Amino acid sequence: MEPLTSVNCSAIECTSLSTSAPIWQDILAQAMTGELLAAMNYTSLSEMCEDPAEMADALEHAQGEQGHAAAFAAEGRKIGVEVINNVDAKHWKRLRDAFLRCITERDFIGCLIVQEIMLESFAVASYSRVGKVAPGSLGGTFARIAAEEEDHVDHAMAILRAERARDAQRFDDKVYRLHLDVMTTLAQMLAKECKDGHCEVCHASCVKPSLFDVSLSAAELRGASLQQYLKTLDMLGIPGEVTLTWVTQLPV
Amino acid sequence: MGNSVAGVATPARTIGVDMALGVDFALIGHQESWRAAADVLAVLRGPERTPLPDDEIKDILPWIPPRAVCRVDVGSIIGTKSGGARARGLYIDSFIPPDRLEAAYVHENIARVRKAAACAIKAGAKIVSLGGFSSILIEGNFDQLPETHDTVFTTGNTLTVAFIVQGIQKMCALEGRNLRRSTLLIVGATGDVGSGCARCLAPLVRRVLLSARKVERLRRLAAELQDDGVQVEVATDLQQFSAEADVVICAASLASPSLLLGRIAPHAIVCDAGYPKNLSPRAEMLGAKVFFGGLGQITGGLRFAPDFHRILNRHPFPDVVHGCLLEGMAVALEGRFEPFSQGRGSITRERVEEMETIAARHGIYLAPLYSADGPVEDGLHCQTEWA
Repeated sequence: MEPLTSVNCSAIECTSLSTSAPIWQDILAQAMTGELLAAMNYTSLSEMCEDPAEMADALEHAQGEQGHAAAFAAEGRKIGVEVINNVDAKHWKRLRDAFLRCITERDFIGCLIVQEIMLESFAVASYSRVGKVAPGSLGGTFARIAAEEEDHVDHAMAILRAERARDAQRFDDKVYRLHLDVMTTLAQMLAKECKDGHCEVCHASCVKPSLFDVSLSAAELRGASLQQYLKTLDMLGIPGEVTLTWVTQLPV
Repeated sequence: MGNSVAGVATPARTIGVDMALGVDFALIGHQESWRAAADVLAVLRGPERTPLPDDEIKDILPWIPPRAVCRVDVGSIIGTKSGGARARGLYIDSFIPPDRLEAAYVHENIARVRKAAACAIKAGAKIVSLGGFSSILIEGNFDQLPETHDTVFTTGNTLTVAFIVQGIQKMCALEGRNLRRSTLLIVGATGDVGSGCARCLAPLVRRVLLSARKVERLRRLAAELQDDGVQVEVATDLQQFSAEADVVICAASLASPSLLLGRIAPHAIVCDAGYPKNLSPRAEMLGAKVFFGGLGQITGGLRFAPDFHRILNRHPFPDVVHGCLLEGMAVALEGRFEPFSQGRGSITRERVEEMETIAARHGIYLAPLYSADGPVEDGLHCQTEWA
């Protein structure tokens, strides 16, 4: 067990967080891993970009995600825990591999769909929920980063809408293909119980059963994430009855 | 998951392509039980996947935003050169969780109906019927629906009232009762459906008992009926009436079947017109002839794509639909896209007769009567889907 106090921790905050610190530690570890993975994805994307403006944009995003990871690590220090990360953990690695397949195919639109529509939906929704219940600066940081990630989605949305306008059927087929790959993995990550063993990010046993202790639940985080995903797909213009079928067919 | 892209996307895309041809009507509904909600999700998941466990359904459903789940095609008995007239529509589920159909969730539920209405507008529906609880939520809050020039909304309550009244008359005929000698009790009398039933049936019975929660509204309705020479009694408590009713209409807004009628005449005719149902399964009504009211049957054909036939039609007879939803279909077949039923307490006998005529012209009639125990008619002339 990590020490639960640090010089940066106010007395009141540490008292209120002392029992729940190991839970926040794992929540922060998942968030930090996600941010580092996003930073890697944007860096990979920048290497594929031929347009200097797009390249600069991708690198700026990568830097932003690094900043988010650093912010989560700092929040961990404030409550006296070390926030680890593991981008090679089994689920996160599968998500990274899915993104890299798009890179290999030089599929810029595919990259945006995976990162901005799928992974960011998950990040925006789950960070927002955590932001509402986490105390003090911890909650503030999650809420702030959720808002920043939402801006990313808005930025990508214009590009993706224009792409769909060119050939809706081709675009929707691509989204569905990536959905089967990426969202299946995300659904397994978001399942109420980790049925296929340890996720390789939580520092001890699975954090999910303990989420109730900090007014969260795995079911709520999954529900909010899938709802955000459906809403994002709605904004792209993909018919709601089609995307509902996709989501109901995901594993639980 | 082992699915090809085409394997799953094809049926869903068919809806999209057909929608491009235009949408005449949209039906906004919800599931009134977890069983029904589970069946909807099972169809969407497809037969090759195991159905979701009950606890997962209860966790997932509240997060689903309102959206279309299937296409609805309805036919008329009026012929055209190319066959019977048809209207194309969509069924939009508001995904109100069955355990939240109550006052405590009114704001959340109105927001869901608003979002469902936005889906209907986006799809280009010319008329939208508000089914079941959606209608109850919106009948006094029409200003909360999104504004649009091309889409109109109806609660569908006028056709619901028509089928309740027809059902009462048919049941009396089947039982050899004289309606004119009856004492009629209406529970939920000040609601849009309850007050519409009161206006239609009061002149046809000996005495009317009106029950609802708000006494002022009860008194106003009673005064209106008394002006027409009807003998009326009102009470907020069913035990306070001086007489026993032998014809009862249950049209209260209840989240679940919890109504206990208490003292009614032996062998009373009882119409449960609630959606969700009103009568508690524990209600002891010795000898009472209970039936579910407000239901109509389409005789010109009804198709769902994907096939939600046995999911959205959970009645023992084919092509049976709640009157509130049927009104939108009837108006669409008529090509008369106007907000036929809006607001609360404005349903008159004349409007009911007008709607009955429109519905009948397109082959939409009172459904065969049935209750929780099965068909209440002898069934000889009814085609039943119950084994």
